Amino acid sequence: MNEFMSIVSQPAVCSYLQFMIFIPVAAGIILFLVPEKYIRIKGILSVAVSLVTGYLTLALFSSAIRMVPLDDLVAKSCMTLFGVNLPDGTSGFLTITTDNLSKLIIVFISLFAFLILLFSLSYIKQGRVKNYYPWFLITLGCSYGAVLADNLLLFLAFWGILGITLYKLIPGHDEESSSTAKKTLILIGASDTILILGIAMLWRLTGSLSMNAISLPTDNILAVTAFVALLVGSFTKAGAFPFHTWVPDYSKDAPASSSAILPASLDKLLGIYFLARITTDLFVPGDWMRLLLLSIGVTTIITAVMMALVQHNYKKLLGYHAVSQVGYMITGFGLGSLIGIAAGLFHMINNAIYKSGLFLSAGAIEQRTGEENIDELGGLSKAMPITFAASLIFAMSISGIPPFNGFASKWMIYQGIIDFGSGPGIASKLWVLWLGLAVLGSALTLASFIKFIGGVFLGRRKTAFEKVREVSPLMWLPMVVLALFCIFFGVFATNFIVPKLIMPVTGEFQFTGFWNSGIVSLLIILSIALGVIVYLAVSLKKFRTEDSFIGGERFHEKTGYPTPEFYKTIGEYRPLAWMYKKAEGKLFDIYDLSKDFVLWLSHKLSEAHTGILPAYVIWVFAGLIIMLLIMI
Amino acid sequence: MAIDLFYFFVFPGLIFAAITGAFLSWFDRKITARVQFRKGPPLLQPFYDFFKLLLVKETILPKKGSPMIFLLAPVFSVFGATMAGVFILLPLFNITTGFRGDLLVIFYLLTIPSFSYIIGSLASGNPLASVGASREMKLIISYELTFLLVIAGIIMKAGQQFDLNSVISIQQAGTPFIGSISGVLLFIAGIFCLQAKLGLVPFDMAEAETEITEGMFIEYSGSAFAMIKLTKYIMLFVLPAFIVALFMNGFRLEGISILWAILKIIVVVLLLTLIRNTNPRVKIKQAVKFFALWMNLIAVIAIVLIAFGY
Repeated sequence: MNEFMSIVSQPAVCSYLQFMIFIPVAAGIILFLVPEKYIRIKGILSVAVSLVTGYLTLALFSSAIRMVPLDDLVAKSCMTLFGVNLPDGTSGFLTITTDNLSKLIIVFISLFAFLILLFSLSYIKQGRVKNYYPWFLITLGCSYGAVLADNLLLFLAFWGILGITLYKLIPGHDEESSSTAKKTLILIGASDTILILGIAMLWRLTGSLSMNAISLPTDNILAVTAFVALLVGSFTKAGAFPFHTWVPDYSKDAPASSSAILPASLDKLLGIYFLARITTDLFVPGDWMRLLLLSIGVTTIITAVMMALVQHNYKKLLGYHAVSQVGYMITGFGLGSLIGIAAGLFHMINNAIYKSGLFLSAGAIEQRTGEENIDELGGLSKAMPITFAASLIFAMSISGIPPFNGFASKWMIYQGIIDFGSGPGIASKLWVLWLGLAVLGSALTLASFIKFIGGVFLGRRKTAFEKVREVSPLMWLPMVVLALFCIFFGVFATNFIVPKLIMPVTGEFQFTGFWNSGIVSLLIILSIALGVIVYLAVSLKKFRTEDSFIGGERFHEKTGYPTPEFYKTIGEYRPLAWMYKKAEGKLFDIYDLSKDFVLWLSHKLSEAHTGILPAYVIWVFAGLIIMLLIMI
Repeated sequence: MAIDLFYFFVFPGLIFAAITGAFLSWFDRKITARVQFRKGPPLLQPFYDFFKLLLVKETILPKKGSPMIFLLAPVFSVFGATMAGVFILLPLFNITTGFRGDLLVIFYLLTIPSFSYIIGSLASGNPLASVGASREMKLIISYELTFLLVIAGIIMKAGQQFDLNSVISIQQAGTPFIGSISGVLLFIAGIFCLQAKLGLVPFDMAEAETEITEGMFIEYSGSAFAMIKLTKYIMLFVLPAFIVALFMNGFRLEGISILWAILKIIVVVLLLTLIRNTNPRVKIKQAVKFFALWMNLIAVIAIVLIAFGY
């Protein structure tokens, strides 16, 4: 009791740690008891909880704590509090690490959780997703837990719960969404199994489970296997090729706010956080492993963005981009240099900002129009000006238009690749390939966002959407905040954000390129102001509004060239046409492939069920003998 | 700060680049006229065009579109062209300042004009403009990789340095990059990328006067169209200057070399003009194939040659 009291009475920052994880989880469990009727109250309570934990994370961020053995904090205080004796073996397992990396990540987790909860207040209506807020809060608490855990088993426990909450944040009323939920759960679950195997191998190799203590070179086959197994866990969570297939489906069927919190921001933060731990702390990847990482990185970028190019459903389009952007982060970490890692981290944060923003604007469009197909939309920019402005900023950020944040982090990745090119290894010799595909991916991203922005907001407004209005402030406020973050992180990237946020994590490094985002942004503002002045001064009286000229033909409702038709010709080239056809037939979907395999296998096994008793007896005895042999 | 504003708005930025570009545009039109046995416009014709659009003509806004974006897009395109121009021209004129960009920054800034055209044309709500925008976007996708490979080749030649100052100084210390087999191959690929970036025949399918009546710019008129013209003038100077910097050891600003500098720009523009006057417009699918297959192949061959030291 004394120890517990000492923790409560002593407002040391280390006592925040346990509350950070337990408050959201406990609040989530309590909220299960509140009936769905009071969803507003549940929402407001959740926002309050996220504010409290947000404050705690900020306090932790500004503190200087490094490592905390939570045994003293949690275990003993729980023991004395509940009178339970925890087994002695737990000591050493409940260690929490608060290095600069985890501090950085939890601050952003808090930010996204708060903004998206705010958005959900008016977006999530009763009956949409059962127990949305409780699961959301549990997600929040477990995310903190996963990021702060130093022990791999503790990490794994939180990581596993996140797979379940992901499953629970999708409605599952209709067949389509429930099959998507199942697919997500199975893919995440399977990858977690591989992850556990990897961790077991790691334990076998090093005899330790503390992330802080392990540093293993990938020079033998067992270490390589463990490395790859851990990568599978990280890649599935973050959504990298070839384990990405749950992300687009999830984005299509889940409510936009669920996609915004999990696949768009938290899963990226966690998956890439774990990737950072794997590549920088747990292992020392060799040249071939770098080659593997870089190949997966650029493959992810290109394949996902090619699929995004042909989508008609804007939520699915965003889902494919949530995959493609991961490729840049993996590329950054694959480089392994300080600037590469910094670029990967910076891109992860930037991506989480604009991608969750994009999902939120998708939610806003969906709420106001009830339409998810780009073909049916158009001309919403006048009706929803704030959503449009925010979406345009997000789209420009993700396509890497200077001076927004996406450009800054991509520019760092490219620099990293060029520097990497002077290295000796085989992966370095191929630097032009990495650079070329990364830049091509960026151009293709621009193309598919032209489709999104052009198809949804620009063009002619359909008569069906004449009465569409801007969404409520609760919904546009988070978008505006995220858009401001996009601008801020872009404009102050080189002189403030990277040195202050990223360099404490990675260590000091010098940019090899030159980019004065501050002055350039100022010049943009000046140019736009000048342009407006020119318009006003020169031809204010000479503005006339007229309907479009299409060669003298009259306009009909159907007249037009919708933006999803833009890239049809791309898909007509022979190899690409074949690829798209196969992709539609789910040939590249690891889930469907393994499903087919499992069904085939169970079919084969069912042939053993002959219904003849002696045959079964032989099976039983054979099994017993094998077990005996193994045990002896 | 004040000096940066001067760089951007006066020299070598907006005003200087626009005036030079306007003269180059006159040169382009004059040569075209001579090729077609016409007399051609007077020297100041580009300025007459620009100021007539800006000051005299009325600006028609689309009724069913998004006028705000429609008007702002050309402004952003002028900005993109000028900014890229400043970062290209400062090293060319050997002005060293803290205000600089590297090849990657220039590469990205050079896409801003095309991006703005597309957004602006989509904002007009005209289906013909949509056709143009779609073609322009596909063109961007296809030449972007080639253009990057050209730049990557230059970076390799410059020993993994990617700021324009070093690229120029390395060439001036040794031989210009065009003086090798790989350099010539990269130059060819680069010229075609320029042709596509400038929207000149054979890659003018996004504007295609005769089939989709100026495509992306069909709804533009008056002062908004004047801004687009301005962007085109600036790009007509900035892009050849970029090629000169990458391949032909830049400018040397002393004595007779000034003439050489002017001559280099004129030769590149002449090359572009001759290509545009001797070729038909290709279809978008052909253009995509041309870049994605042939130009990339040339660029990759050049890069392999560079790796082996040719």
